Amino acid sequence: MNGRPEQFSAQPNELLVERLRDGLGLTGTKVGCDTGQCGTCVVRLDGRSVKSCLVLTASAAGGEVATIEGETTRGGELSGLQEALRQEHGTQCGFCTPGMVMALGELVENTADREAPTEPEIREWLTGNLCRCTGYHSVVRGVQRACATARSAAGQEV
Amino acid sequence: MTAVTGEAPATGSGVLGQPLDSREDPQLLRGEATYVADIDLPGTAHMAILGSPVAHARILSIETKAAEQLPGVLKVATAADFTDVMPLPCIWIPGGVESHFPPHPYGLPGARPVLTGDTVRHVGDPIAVVVAETPRQATAALAAISVEYEPLPVVTRADEALAEGAPQLHEAVPGNLNAYWTCGDKDRTDAAIAAAEVTVELDLVNQRTINSPIEPRGAVGDYNPVTGEYTLYATTQGPHNHRFLLSALVLGIPFNKLRVIAPTVGGSFGTKGYLYPDMPLVLLLSKALGRPVKWVDTRTGLMNSTVQGRDHRQHVTLAGTRDGRITAVRCTSYANLGAYPSTIGPGVATALMGRSISGMYDIDAAFCEVYAAFTNTVPLGAQRGSGRAEAAFLMERLVDRYAGEIGMDPAAVRRKNLVPKEKFPYDNGLGWTYDSGDYRLNFDKAVELSGYADMPARKAEARTRGKRLGVGLATYVAICGVGPSTRMSQEGMLGGTWESANIRVHPTGEVTVIVGSASTGQSHGTVFAQVAADELGIDPDTVQVLEGDTQKAPYGQGTYGSRSYSMAAPAVALTARKIKSKLIRAGAVFLGIPEDKVVYAGGGVHEEGNEQNAKTFAELAMSMWYGWGLPAEIEPALDETTHFDPPEFNYPFGTHVAVVEIDELTGETEVVAYTAVDDAGHIGNPKIVLGQIEGSITHGLGQALMEAAVYDEQGLLISSDLTTYALPRAADVPFFTLDKTVTPSPNNPLGAKGAGEIATVPPAAAVVNAVVDALADLGVQHIDMPLTPEKVWRRLRGEAQ
Ligand code: FES
Ligand code: FES
Repeated sequence: MNGRPEQFSAQPNELLVERLRDGLGLTGTKVGCDTGQCGTCVVRLDGRSVKSCLVLTASAAGGEVATIEGETTRGGELSGLQEALRQEHGTQCGFCTPGMVMALGELVENTADREAPTEPEIREWLTGNLCRCTGYHSVVRGVQRACATARSAAGQEV
Repeated sequence: MTAVTGEAPATGSGVLGQPLDSREDPQLLRGEATYVADIDLPGTAHMAILGSPVAHARILSIETKAAEQLPGVLKVATAADFTDVMPLPCIWIPGGVESHFPPHPYGLPGARPVLTGDTVRHVGDPIAVVVAETPRQATAALAAISVEYEPLPVVTRADEALAEGAPQLHEAVPGNLNAYWTCGDKDRTDAAIAAAEVTVELDLVNQRTINSPIEPRGAVGDYNPVTGEYTLYATTQGPHNHRFLLSALVLGIPFNKLRVIAPTVGGSFGTKGYLYPDMPLVLLLSKALGRPVKWVDTRTGLMNSTVQGRDHRQHVTLAGTRDGRITAVRCTSYANLGAYPSTIGPGVATALMGRSISGMYDIDAAFCEVYAAFTNTVPLGAQRGSGRAEAAFLMERLVDRYAGEIGMDPAAVRRKNLVPKEKFPYDNGLGWTYDSGDYRLNFDKAVELSGYADMPARKAEARTRGKRLGVGLATYVAICGVGPSTRMSQEGMLGGTWESANIRVHPTGEVTVIVGSASTGQSHGTVFAQVAADELGIDPDTVQVLEGDTQKAPYGQGTYGSRSYSMAAPAVALTARKIKSKLIRAGAVFLGIPEDKVVYAGGGVHEEGNEQNAKTFAELAMSMWYGWGLPAEIEPALDETTHFDPPEFNYPFGTHVAVVEIDELTGETEVVAYTAVDDAGHIGNPKIVLGQIEGSITHGLGQALMEAAVYDEQGLLISSDLTTYALPRAADVPFFTLDKTVTPSPNNPLGAKGAGEIATVPPAAAVVNAVVDALADLGVQHIDMPLTPEKVWRRLRGEAQ
């Protein structure tokens, strides 16, 4: 869990999001729906973004789980993606934000050694995350900015 | 966002109007903000609510014993446990009409009991609650409560609820009619329509939609038996308002025994200002059990219990001359209030909609009548752009229909009828007096920016790709800045609608601003700091902003109707001016010069013509803290408060242009370009307003294209989760082209107008106009929202609506 071993026993029907929020007190991951539609609960399981309201805790056993709390230390420096979202004001009420950051991380990380994602690709990547406040525009701009920064840091053409 | 055409506000430190980064964002981006669901008080028990599974029935019996025996269950309660609790009141009954509703003990119309004991009136109507050790145990126990129902006939449409023989919802409300409300001049309008060269008519359905903030509602109640005080943490956009309503009007406890705290709130769009049964329930159950009680809603629960929006069925008529001059507009609307009058729902469905129908046009005769009816659906409330969006929709559909009828370009018709600049303040004949505006400038800018003149060529090009391109215009005026309290009382609002701010300058020169408002994602901490810093001429980083806790903040009414920047920010500015003027008076004493020689600059004071004789802001703050040498008429310390009640509302406006492409094969509508030029007067932080405008337009596009609350004949909400209720996703919208004009409002010291939700008002009209334009050669004159691919596909094949 965010690079630290955690040991506990879980009920067979326990959802990963319940373990994170209620069991481990990692409340950065949010619950916005009952149906796997909103993406506020996205975390990364073995590097891939997953909706933690659709994952049984037991099935994640032995895996590496990364949540928003692992992105920075409390009050610490923002990651490249978070900083880009801050500059573009990609968050308003912030409820969708941790899920977005976790979902988009993969996309931004992969940009350094590949083509930068196009606007439609970014929008496609975001379809699993709902945001009612921003209409996604500032989030898309934030991803574009984050990708540009990541690419120029890797010596790629921006 | 460029091209300011009004005057810039008077600035001190120059930070007002700057696109400063939101200081709230870093915490949100790290997932560190605390929302209601994240609050975990020691010893918390968890509440779940049993909502009615049927839309209309008499309750014959409720059996709770089995549930009480389940593991972890602490209490099961029904209406019988709360007989001494007053019903939740409705505080906005349309002005000038009788409410036809059983009164609340305080003379208000009583809307609904905390739990329903006799008759359920909508799916989700709360019948019983369980409190248990864990949320899962509470939810599981709901299934063990058995309720016996005697089904009653169901009605879900307002017009049908008013028909002879319709099912009756409330004994005290014969015929289900809550209110018949009118505005404007009926005789004059009827006469103008009878005498007109041209009249056009439309039957419109402004479908019911669900606001869907991404954070569902929640509440934590915490009763302290030692002090007898209650604390409520809730998803609220108006903590003071909830305190007022709950303490005095529902629980009957002294005002100072209830503290309401709004932690970070995950969006609201109108829904979180209402009183819901869960709020008093967590407080009462916390007292009964001696433990904090927490309730967090599910998405399905939200959809079946949180107020819904829009929902009008209308017959509308427009009259005009053959050469494009509009002479009259008339609207008859059937508004669906749902099963109970919500806290302010009836006012939204009447005054906010009806008085706005003439929009940006100078029309001689206008009249609107609304039949507001009860049905077996979730209560109606506000929704981003509420009332004004419904009004703009009908007017802008009519203008296009009229332009088609007389064979004139829709842009030319609009331009010809805009209220001219010289006519402000402009009385629209429906009850609003528009404060200021340069509508033509705004309109021309949007038309130009959208490339409107190139549309014929673009239509031809689209055809070569199997697409039909359409362009749709929509203009709007959105009444904001609620409000002048006396004026609102005339609208039937039972309560003050002013706003407040307190500023405290600490001895070390830092400043705390405390407002009665409360953010649901609008970066108040950033913007109010800008306002105070600008007035005082200090660095905004030294200004802290607090809000959302009734024990700390001065009274205020909260965030709704895009009012924070034009109501709370003026209160901040006026308070800063009080501080400044006190510093000038005290500065004269400290500098040993007459007051008229004191210059206030950069936060400090100096002697006119002698900058050596000066005191910095920090020095002044410390001197005021000591209070040494101050004459009797100047009190020590710097702590001022203002309650701002504006002389009038403010009226933002704008013009939006949608360009859509319809796929000939699938009927799918894609918004390929969207241009908006909005006028919200002087803006405090353009970066934050830009985000609100983009979100607002997306929300409006949602209503046009995909959103609908669908009830079946039994009154079951079919679209009760996010698999069945469609919200716009990132791939559904393009980047927008945005600009602004600036006409300051004369009704507040910042020249501000509402901004947050105004851009939700016209998109539905713009998109439907664009789709109808794309299908015009097929004889299509109107399509009801949402414009699903199937609906459009059928019209492409010549099927009737
Ligand atoms: S809470 Fe997991 S997708 Fe909505
Ligand atoms: S910022 Fe509020 S839902 Fe995305």
